[in-house]
Amino acid sequence: MKSLSLKLPIKLSFLLCFVSACFSFSAIAADAEQAKFSLERLSQSLRQLNFNTSFVVVKNNQAEPYHWLHGVTEVPLSNRTDTQADTAKQEVELEILALLNGPRRDILRVGNTVSYIEPEYAPYSIASAQISGPIPAVFGRDISVLENNYHFVSVGKSRVLGRAAQLIRIVPQDAHRYGYWLWLDQDSGLMLKLAVITRKGKLLEQIQFTHLEITESLSENLKQLQVTELPKVIELSAKENNTELAWQVNWLPDGFEEVKSDRHRMNSSKQAVEFMLFNDGLVDISVYVNPSQDKQRAVEYASDGATLVLNQVVNNIEVSVVGKIPLSSAEKIVNSVSFNPNKLN
Amino acid sequence: MSESKFETISSLVDNYRVAEQSSEQVIDDMLKDEHLSAAWQQYHLIGDVIRDEIPQILQLDLSAQIAEAIADEPSILAPKTLTKANDPQSGLKAKVVQLIKPVGQLAIAASAAGLMIIGVQQNTADTNEIITPSQIVQTKPLAGFANPVSFNYQQNDQSRTQSHQATALEQRIAQQHRFQALLSDHQQQVKLSAAKSAQSKDAKQSLLEKDGEIVNN
Repeated sequence: MKSLSLKLPIKLSFLLCFVSACFSFSAIAADAEQAKFSLERLSQSLRQLNFNTSFVVVKNNQAEPYHWLHGVTEVPLSNRTDTQADTAKQEVELEILALLNGPRRDILRVGNTVSYIEPEYAPYSIASAQISGPIPAVFGRDISVLENNYHFVSVGKSRVLGRAAQLIRIVPQDAHRYGYWLWLDQDSGLMLKLAVITRKGKLLEQIQFTHLEITESLSENLKQLQVTELPKVIELSAKENNTELAWQVNWLPDGFEEVKSDRHRMNSSKQAVEFMLFNDGLVDISVYVNPSQDKQRAVEYASDGATLVLNQVVNNIEVSVVGKIPLSSAEKIVNSVSFNPNKLN
Repeated sequence: MSESKFETISSLVDNYRVAEQSSEQVIDDMLKDEHLSAAWQQYHLIGDVIRDEIPQILQLDLSAQIAEAIADEPSILAPKTLTKANDPQSGLKAKVVQLIKPVGQLAIAASAAGLMIIGVQQNTADTNEIITPSQIVQTKPLAGFANPVSFNYQQNDQSRTQSHQATALEQRIAQQHRFQALLSDHQQQVKLSAAKSAQSKDAKQSLLEKDGEIVNN
């Protein structure tokens, strides 16, 4: 009799535990769902709205101001036959991102052509549907590619740029990369603030929007862009982008995939390098290998905001890693590079 | 004519309104004419007497005295410091403060210099083992480094030879150049890689097609 009366409360408490666990799990799941929904809305807004916005990138105690314009316009399809062209229309995105301080650095985009105007190079265009500026391009694309390596957490509401904002954290699933915090406008779904944060919560770099205007019609600048002739698109052959190299990187954080490998000369130093680029959807990691005059050089590193530059020389071979990753990850990558003696000439 | 002028002066003294043109005319005349200005003074005096506002010692012509005083006054280019010279205590204080101030400033400067020397020495000591660069890549790579190193060279040349200093500086600069080059190349490659993602699909597609052809053959 006694044992029975004892068992009952135990069973009950188990049940209670289970139920409460279910509730908390569902609450977390709902949070994640909400976060994902917000990010999807951001992606949609970045592609579909006509917006005129300014932001500053704050890093190294410096602020870089940018002006960013985006709009969508309809143009008749050009590659159809004439009879169809009258009715068929295609939506084309127009985009301008301009650095406002120092020498001109403008990025122009019309549909699938992106032009870079920079002091180091003659203006050039590439065939791409995304601009690579300070804001990761993935936020305007399919964000579900991040789900394998990051959790999305909806944290709370706050006021940013005088608007009601929802804070979403993109939390890495391992210790090998940084987290991203996004403050999204509740009205438009657009970004109001973005911060890159270490696992311990240290702020490395942030982007604060200072002005946001959403309009029905295209702004004047974008109308001009529409009729501007962009620089010629440079052709990048697939072969150039997949050169077989005499070395390999044996360790990378999970989810990083090779984007390209090639041999090229660095623009500023004219140094010939062998190069591999990796990406996990959000972060790019470059690995450089080149012969060096020094026999040995211990690991050196510097950081530019969240971007780490690390290099070392072992047996006259210099290995460098660049990317928005923690020091420990970069060191591990550098040490994992191995050389294939058969392929070394 | 002059009668009316005297009348106007009288009404001006009594603060009565006069037609503007004529009053201005009269004031101008008054400044030129001795008789009229004398009348102005007299009317004022009369007014004061009637209102019983005369001072106990009557100074009939104050304006002349003031004019004299102004003429006697030496022209002052810089304002005199109003020290309370009469008060001996405050004078003493001022002197003490004056003595202490420079000494204090010197002490602060000296301690700051001391800190810098210690800091720089610490830094060079570290570079012996591992060259740890500053945490921030400078946009102008050389700006931040030339000064402290050359300063260092003067301070402790017993411990380090000149050539060592020069090579250390060169290494620093070379290092900054390397980082700068890597950073800008990384950004460039990321930009170019965006183009690739669109093309790689085509490339893969064409590769697949080629494979298919081979199989078919």
